[in-house]
Amino acid sequence: MKARGALSAAVASAGILLAGWQAGTQVAGVSTTNNGSTTAAGTSGAGTSGGGASASGSAGSSGSSDSSGSSGSAGSSGTSGSSGGASTAGTFKGSVVQTRFGAVQVQITVSAGKISEVTALQLTDDDRKSIQISNRAAPLLRTEVLSAQSAAVKTVSGATVTSNAYLSSLQAAIDAANL
Amino acid sequence: MPRTSENPAPPTESAPLRAATFHCMGTVVSLTMPAVPGPGGHPAEDELAAAAAVVECVFLELDRTFSLYREDSEASSLARGELSLRDASPGMRERYSDALEWRLRTHGAFTPERPDGVLDLSGLIKAYAIQESGTSLLALGRTDWCLNAGGDVLVSGSPVPGGTGPWDAGIMDPLDRGAVQAGYPLGGRLRHSALATSGSAERGDHIWRQRGEAPAFVQVSVAAADITTADVLATAIVAGGIPMLDRATDGWDIAVLAVRPDGALLGTPDFRR
Repeated sequence: MKARGALSAAVASAGILLAGWQAGTQVAGVSTTNNGSTTAAGTSGAGTSGGGASASGSAGSSGSSDSSGSSGSAGSSGTSGSSGGASTAGTFKGSVVQTRFGAVQVQITVSAGKISEVTALQLTDDDRKSIQISNRAAPLLRTEVLSAQSAAVKTVSGATVTSNAYLSSLQAAIDAANL
Repeated sequence: MPRTSENPAPPTESAPLRAATFHCMGTVVSLTMPAVPGPGGHPAEDELAAAAAVVECVFLELDRTFSLYREDSEASSLARGELSLRDASPGMRERYSDALEWRLRTHGAFTPERPDGVLDLSGLIKAYAIQESGTSLLALGRTDWCLNAGGDVLVSGSPVPGGTGPWDAGIMDPLDRGAVQAGYPLGGRLRHSALATSGSAERGDHIWRQRGEAPAFVQVSVAAADITTADVLATAIVAGGIPMLDRATDGWDIAVLAVRPDGALLGTPDFRR
């Protein structure tokens, strides 16, 4: 039972991590990002071993990972061995969580009661391309930067242009062409 | 969309773009729209002039209240200590509240107070004026336009009436003002409609670097869904350096292109060609 609790807590915390990571993208009060699906992580256990389907599902609050057992697993169908302990093994999928990068689903592999592997099953954007999770800025060569044909540019962004600086700016040239 | 029914021409670069400009807030504001007759059959020139007049009204009114360059503005009264925030107008208090919220969100990298303690909301007011102008244009049924106020850009729709193509924006090279350093498409069906650029060299009066360290960036451009987010974060990243850059890209759905003092570039994946 202890291993089962640790397992669901781990899956749940992975889900919370993902949701938190998404919620963090909206600093404002919008951080209500589907708590439901967060806490539901850990359903549909594709586990193999064990017999007694111990549905220890309390529609868990979004607790932290140390509130073992009850956190997460909103009435899941996990198939952990009822005797718990070292017999817990198999692969378990989290529920699909929608992030701003598209759908994300995590699978963990458990052997001997320990997580041996965490795999991202679904990491695609709407166009079904695999995606880069990090939006961090990285060094770019000038030749790698999204370029613009000066002739096609409709407007120019620059550090605050004063009225005087405007006179000699590209924006002024573009405006003059359109006046 | 009845206006295309009588025009069988494919929506290519058919309608030329027309621009109107005016001076306000110490800079030049440009409104660009495709030249198409209005819904009531008004000539395209009148459509543009009417739209530009609305934008100018929005800017002027905000400038009258918030400019520190006007002796008789409410902001100047506050700066002189003749007026307290408690007694300030609701608009002033709302913008001040916005500014404090942004200061929290940016861990202090963006701040509405000058080092001398004077409240200076000018960093926010221009973005707010752009945003309010955009709202007014949309309310008037203008869906295709590009608004540029001193290098901060907000677009709606497409440069081709009824089209879905984006507005191609360029980013000025900070080391060569006559050149475009990078491009970024805005509007159309894309998720970013706003692009703002802040620099540590120009008009440094509204960006106060922390602890007097050498600037990490000479110029930072941020694309976002709205102009206030783009503008505030560009300012905050110039002030807060790499840590703020990473917080911003982790915390907001934005694209960033930052220029180091030696001209080297840092960019989020959206800026990679």
